[in-house]
Amino acid sequence: MKSETVLFSPIQKMALALLRITIGWHFLYEGVVKIRKPGWSAAGFLLQARGPAADIYHWMAENPDFLNVINEWNKWGLTLIGLGLMVGCLTRLTGSAGIILLMLYYLCNPPFVGYFYSLPAEGSYLIVNKNLVEATALLVVVVTRAGRFFGLDLILSGRSRRSDSNKQQAIAAVGE
Amino acid sequence: MKQSDSNGETESATPRPIKEGKIERREVLQGLSSLPTLGLFGYSLCRQAAYEDAQDRQRQPTSEPTARRPAIQVALLGAGAQGEVLLNSMLRIPGLYVRAVCDIWTEYNLKRTVNTLKKYKIEANGYEDYREMLEREKDLEAVVVATPDFWHARHTIDCLRAGKHVYCEKEMSNSLEDAGQMVLAARETGRLLQIGHQRRSHPRYQHCYRKLLREANLLGRIVTAYGQWNRSVKPDQGWPKRYAIPEERLKQYGYPSMAHFRNWRWYKGMGGGPIVDLGSHQIDIFNWFLGSPPDYVTASGGTDYYDPKTHEWYDTVMAIYEYSTPAGKARAYYQTQTTNGSQGYFETFMGDQGTLVLSESEAAYSGAIYREVSAPAWDEWVRRGYITGPKVQTVRQDSQIPLDVRESVSPDEHRIPVHLTVPYHQSHLENFFQSIRGEARLNCPAETGYETAVTVLKVNEAVEAHRRLSFRPGDFRVPS
Ligand SMILES: NC(=O)c1ccc[n+]([C@@H]2O[C@H](COP(=O)([O-])OP(=O)(O)OC[C@H]3O[C@@H](n4cnc5c(N)ncnc54)[C@H](O)[C@@H]3O)[C@@H](O)[C@H]2O)c1
Repeated sequence: MKSETVLFSPIQKMALALLRITIGWHFLYEGVVKIRKPGWSAAGFLLQARGPAADIYHWMAENPDFLNVINEWNKWGLTLIGLGLMVGCLTRLTGSAGIILLMLYYLCNPPFVGYFYSLPAEGSYLIVNKNLVEATALLVVVVTRAGRFFGLDLILSGRSRRSDSNKQQAIAAVGE
Repeated sequence: MKQSDSNGETESATPRPIKEGKIERREVLQGLSSLPTLGLFGYSLCRQAAYEDAQDRQRQPTSEPTARRPAIQVALLGAGAQGEVLLNSMLRIPGLYVRAVCDIWTEYNLKRTVNTLKKYKIEANGYEDYREMLEREKDLEAVVVATPDFWHARHTIDCLRAGKHVYCEKEMSNSLEDAGQMVLAARETGRLLQIGHQRRSHPRYQHCYRKLLREANLLGRIVTAYGQWNRSVKPDQGWPKRYAIPEERLKQYGYPSMAHFRNWRWYKGMGGGPIVDLGSHQIDIFNWFLGSPPDYVTASGGTDYYDPKTHEWYDTVMAIYEYSTPAGKARAYYQTQTTNGSQGYFETFMGDQGTLVLSESEAAYSGAIYREVSAPAWDEWVRRGYITGPKVQTVRQDSQIPLDVRESVSPDEHRIPVHLTVPYHQSHLENFFQSIRGEARLNCPAETGYETAVTVLKVNEAVEAHRRLSFRPGDFRVPS
């Protein structure tokens, strides 16, 4: 495997693990808050969608069946992704799912040139906003497979490596 | 960065020899090393949740006040959009217990509401038929009715006859005859009937009426009033197809189809269209602030935008009322349109000494009063805190145009420093429950609701008649 050849110093590994854990924490809390709040719905957020994909978001909000599904997926998706990232479990899967969610949020209210929003933002954004930054940070977590650093993936990847090598040995044995 | 890896867990250019069937202890320990962060998260979450729960308890202190006096047992009849809003407010009012919920949409609205209550640790019984609820729930003291307008009369009258106090949403009814029966039922039974014109209990409206108009007379002689509710285009209300109500049940409750059931507002015989839905709140304020109901109404309206097949009531209505107020003649214009939401909703009263602009909302038009230049100074009222000091007017520095002497100086703007700090309907509900305990008087009793219904429903008649219609003084009262 190619990534196997990449070397990280202990401090780099710690930094990547920290990045993974903080993003996970954020996801987890966003999920838990929504689960705890009775009657929480994404409808408001979806309805104020702007930009090229706005129609799709509006359609989601106005379709009660679909909205129910979205609400549940969002709540539990955020929570599970958060948990996965924090403990470093299946990081490539949870991280990629996280990136997809973040990009869905991003595309709902994209700070593209020429779009003007009435809601006050807590900063100033041009194309890049915090959703995009978080998504990019997650991309780093995914491609460096940061779940292996102080995370359960270390154990899991250890297992698969071993079973891989067992397999190879088995194949070699068959070939003999 | 090239760095040789001293600890064995990381991949190095040359893979370590793997020990058959055994995971290294160091690997396991390191792999588990981020689990404690979950503990930290859990701890923080518990702390945070404890604070939030404490705030919730402040909002609905069920234990303390109920220890002193028994909780009022209340039922919600009609758990739709507005039912949910009212319920959320009731959950914040101390000394209430929501004992039952009734709604014919058992598979959706009823279920959702009962489940929501469970989250608040309230075990409410759910019913489809309100008569069964009245029969079984003997301890009920009050019922909050939030069903579609054409059901209000039957629900309210039967609840009153069963000895319950009733809070009934506006519009009192879509038929005046039925509204009259509601007034009579309240009189006969001696039970309280509050109509849901919630601005009557809004602290800003009460402040404006009592302090600014009656006590300080800041507007002087009011000659005109204006009100509007502009609302953006809204698609029809849909429904999750798998939770559709069986046709038989729909028919039983007077709905030809699911579309009628969800969009009852737009159909004749069920609702009254936007003038009733939206306008009645604000036309109610005309009557209140001007001190009398009107003499005449002229109106124009129509289904100009939507499909008249699904929108039987007018999507656009403009009405002019003529009043003989205790102070003299006055005219009030009201418009509602449902195709453009710009400038939202507010009411304006204009007297010879000042102008009052206000609305229920805290976001826009949250209360301003303008002094005519010729009016006596308002410093006294600013000192008393009735209004804020005038807004300092800034002159644009870059303006090249000299001020024209013919222009009248723009009046000073003062703000009204009274704000609603609870959800819109809470104060009005509180007034109802306090009245049940004998601690207050209803702010919108049946008679007042009836007067408003007469004033509002006449607009639809005037649209059809294409001429000015007059009210007789007797129209506004229900004879015993
Ligand atoms: N005061 C306000 O600001 C305000 C705002 C919105 C609505 N309202 C009023 O509240 C009432 C309800 O409006 P909404 O927007 O919630 O409508 P809605 O259609 O969302 O809800 C009506 C609910 O009543 C139920 N229902 C219908 N017929 C019934 C019956 N015979 N028995 C039991 N339940 C029945 C329906 O299943 C539905 O859940 C209306 O009178 C409306 O004018 C007042």
